[in-house]
Amino acid sequence: MSESPQSETQKDGAGLPEAATSWEPRIVAFICNWCTYTGADLAGTSRMKYPPYVRVIKIPCTGRFDPLFMIKAFERGADGVLVSGCHPGDCHYTAGNYNARRKYTVFKALLETLGMDMDRVWFSWISASEGGKWVDTIRKFTEVIQEKGPFREYREMIDVG
Amino acid sequence: MSKIGVFVCHCGENISRTVDCARVAKASGQIRGVAVAKDYKYMCSDPGQALIKNAIKEHKLDGVVVSACSPHMHEKTFRKAVTEAGLNQFLCEMANIREHCSWVHEKEEPTTRKAIELVRLMVEKVKRNMALEPIRVDVTKRALVIGGGVAGIQAALDIADGGHEVILVEKDPSVGGHMAQLSETFPTLDCSQCILTPKMVDVGSHPNIKLYTYSEVEKIEGFVGNFKVTIKKKARSVDIDKCTGCGECQLKCPSKKIPSEFDRGLKNRTAIYIPFPQAVPARPVIDREHCIYFTKGKCKACQKVCPTEAVDFEQTDEYVEEEVGGIVVATGFDLYTTDKQGPYPDYKGYGEYGYGEDPDIIDGLQFERLASASGPTGGAIQRPSDGKEPKSVVFLQCIGSRHPSKGIEFCSKICCMYTAKHTMLYKHKVHHGTAYVFYMDIRAPGKGYDEFVRRAIEEDGAVYLRGRVSRIYRSGDHLIVKGADTLSGAAVEIEADMVVLATAVMPQPGIEGLFQKLGISYDQYKFASEAHPKLRPVECATAGIFLAGACQGPKDIPESVAQASAAASKALILFSRDQMLREPVVAKVNENTCIACWYCVEICPFTAISKKDIRDRQGNLIKRVAEVNPSLCTGCGTCAATCFSNSIDLDGFTDEQIYSEINSLMAVGQDLFPEPEKAEGDSPDEKAA
Amino acid sequence: MSDRTDKIREVARKWLADGTVEAVVGWEQGTYREKCSPVLVRKPEDADRLLFNDRCTNNLMTYLKRDPVRGMEKVGVVAKGCDIKSLIGLLQESQVEREKVMVLAVTCEGVKKDDGTVPIKCQACDVNTPTFYDEIVGEKVASNPDPEARFKDLEKLDAMTPAERNSFWREELDKCIRCYACRQACPLCICSRCIAEKNQPQWVETSPHPRGNFSWNLVRAYHLAGRCVECEACETACPVNIPLMLLNRAMARTVKGAFDYEAGKDPEVQPPLRTFNLDDDNSFIL
Repeated sequence: MSESPQSETQKDGAGLPEAATSWEPRIVAFICNWCTYTGADLAGTSRMKYPPYVRVIKIPCTGRFDPLFMIKAFERGADGVLVSGCHPGDCHYTAGNYNARRKYTVFKALLETLGMDMDRVWFSWISASEGGKWVDTIRKFTEVIQEKGPFREYREMIDVG
Repeated sequence: MSKIGVFVCHCGENISRTVDCARVAKASGQIRGVAVAKDYKYMCSDPGQALIKNAIKEHKLDGVVVSACSPHMHEKTFRKAVTEAGLNQFLCEMANIREHCSWVHEKEEPTTRKAIELVRLMVEKVKRNMALEPIRVDVTKRALVIGGGVAGIQAALDIADGGHEVILVEKDPSVGGHMAQLSETFPTLDCSQCILTPKMVDVGSHPNIKLYTYSEVEKIEGFVGNFKVTIKKKARSVDIDKCTGCGECQLKCPSKKIPSEFDRGLKNRTAIYIPFPQAVPARPVIDREHCIYFTKGKCKACQKVCPTEAVDFEQTDEYVEEEVGGIVVATGFDLYTTDKQGPYPDYKGYGEYGYGEDPDIIDGLQFERLASASGPTGGAIQRPSDGKEPKSVVFLQCIGSRHPSKGIEFCSKICCMYTAKHTMLYKHKVHHGTAYVFYMDIRAPGKGYDEFVRRAIEEDGAVYLRGRVSRIYRSGDHLIVKGADTLSGAAVEIEADMVVLATAVMPQPGIEGLFQKLGISYDQYKFASEAHPKLRPVECATAGIFLAGACQGPKDIPESVAQASAAASKALILFSRDQMLREPVVAKVNENTCIACWYCVEICPFTAISKKDIRDRQGNLIKRVAEVNPSLCTGCGTCAATCFSNSIDLDGFTDEQIYSEINSLMAVGQDLFPEPEKAEGDSPDEKAA
Repeated sequence: MSDRTDKIREVARKWLADGTVEAVVGWEQGTYREKCSPVLVRKPEDADRLLFNDRCTNNLMTYLKRDPVRGMEKVGVVAKGCDIKSLIGLLQESQVEREKVMVLAVTCEGVKKDDGTVPIKCQACDVNTPTFYDEIVGEKVASNPDPEARFKDLEKLDAMTPAERNSFWREELDKCIRCYACRQACPLCICSRCIAEKNQPQWVETSPHPRGNFSWNLVRAYHLAGRCVECEACETACPVNIPLMLLNRAMARTVKGAFDYEAGKDPEVQPPLRTFNLDDDNSFIL
């Protein structure tokens, strides 16, 4: 059952529809199962609308978020990465988000030092009842990314590699 | 190669209205490793589930992706279905194309593409899913009940009657709680002690209940089914096994001027005392702060008079350990005090109302003691200053409650009812007196409740004034109450003999310390929080801990009792099995690369990770590594994200799975980064792959 | 200096002779110009190889986590104040047992780089006379740290726009040949199997192309955040002169500002990424 992650992912187009020829933003959202995921569910049940360019990767808790995830997402062509979880004090696991916050602080400073475009790295706390906040966040983030266009600086590195 | 089945649900038209489901299925079928992909109108229906089950058998699938609603909606449904077809439930995942896609996007090309990408993401994850088995944990079939008020008593009795041992811990010398202080209860006006004391006696004598009074929970370790509790038995200075409860000591005690907690300061007690005649256990305790022997070094009057030599000045705090499987928290409430020295430093008092300064301004519980047949006045309504019968009494509701400027926004819920009751008790005893009530709204929903308030107004003639009081001051023999009647728009001034403040229901001061030991959450006011306000109102988010009574928020007696029985039934459900099943989403350590830096040990919020020695056959230490206790691990993954060498991983959300999900997103259609200015055919695909 | 050399030899000889330690890690005269090299002395008669001068730049603590020193029952190590900061880091993270190490501290006026210049760590040094040791040699040397020195170099980075910073780093990191000398020299790169060498999954690509170099250097700096004691061993070891200390010091400045923490000060305090405060900065999170 377990296969090497490298083995299958990059090989084919999987019969997908004709790829869009114009650029579309690629936003990856790492969100926790308990608050933000449920908040995004609520946006759905409330039939709120937001642009369809965000791809959610569910993690149990923001405590599970390893900054490596973000780097890999950018390496694979993300134009923006969002990490979102429970508000301070609301963590299902009591402290995952506090530990995550320290990691964000350090990693964010590192990215800034390296001159990364920090408009492409967002952190938020969105609770299970904040469907509206999820929608606003994704809308705004998409707008920012659309305005900025593709993450060329990173893609140049990728293309060279 | 993997054999994954993808099942795309239309959800009636909920998904298919904006997503081309047939195309999603077709595209999914072409993802490498997908053996079968189908779409269907209602995947969660019986025929839909049958379709999945048949496909599992027919194609010998080793993984299933149901592309439908949120996993929070139907993950259980589909995991059960695949299990019935012989597939491990953890080999089934859901791609959320409804809440996260069809419902939030318009009908357009990118919406369908997103749905396909979400399926692809889950396919890549499922390929790396492992068959997991639920973790079995033994259950200790004993309960701890914290708090011996009516809620704790009821929970303890129900669990004990259900056949399981109960440890009941009460911080005061007797069980009974606030209900023991009440005179009569709404809406039936039956005597509180008459209905409570039999239950108190039951708790004291039940073969399944181990009662620790004058005790507190000191420490709690472990987890659902396996808690280890350390209880501090405060030194009572009386051997309760030797003591017969004769009460001689109380009579002889020379320190007689201590305000009685039970009578809320309206009466004094001695330093060695039984808090009230019906106390369980009916054994005295020495209040060391006021005892002459403990403060001045000599006296021992009680010891001399005790016929059974039960008084023991040398007694010290004792610590006992108990093992339990479930915990009921029933720590109750206390009244917000409005004087300057109240126990709630975060909240402003009502200096303008003179509580604590004028003896004839009392709170609701003090009025209960005045009206109680066992109270300081034997049930006669007499004002505290001079014992005169008050000819007019003003009752003020919402003191603290619903008053954001004083720091409290919630409604204390029980005051409308008990104030109506107070006016009736008063009128039944002082026939010519007048009861005035200043109220904001009358909130009396409940069986027989509104009728009760109407009776107070219509039959017993209580004068209800809608408005607030601005000031109370003394004028000779009377208290002048100045306020507004907002219905008539008139300013009101009443000459009162006594004022009763219906103060807010608050959690016990400092109770958050206990909640922190228990690892349960609480709100801004320090009321304990339930796991879900509607669907799990009795359980805490921490498994195995249940709530009963006013520790969770203001509640009246019937509600507290109902919730206590509910909590007891939750505990009994827990005890109905020898073993409990837990989700196997837990961390695991790669011992080969673990370097024992203990970041994971320190960072784990559940102390689920410990240090393990690896030894050779001769017993020599080879290395030390981290070790996860799967019964304690809750699967947050903080350890995995913290480990520098990624030597700890989380089943269900492994590095490989997340890595593959990230990769899958960006490889779609090999349209890696087509940019507007670039012409078709000039894409950098080849390089990127 | 020669006085300190004599005393080091004396103490080392005694420790080796009476069995206090199995070996002493120290510096000896190198073979190239005035450079000093690390040496492992096992016999009392070899203690005379040891020396101390201003070219003893190597941080010998890095050997404590390596074989054969790691397996020894008890080992002596000659250490400057700055090196001892690394030991404190290793103690915090349980990589070294205090009872197994005899610290032979040496007071220090500062060392010189190969080109004769004074390293920033010496300009900013606050431990010229170490305070954490088993035995100390040398006259007391007062510390007179230049408060500006530590983060002075960061100013030129701060002055750049993000885009300028980005191209600066891309140019610098392009040079990386992935030799991992930075990692090997670092006393606090403690993993037995570095994340860069794990391939299931391979978070960090191993080829020396821009994206692999970027993620490697990013991960290296991130994993040392709040742990790096600014010994400069990585930068000294780098064969292509990547200014690694700029990244490390940027992290140190962040950790100081955000968590009021400085690495290598107190073995009893939790490193910043192993704990949290309820009132940590939340302002950047939406």
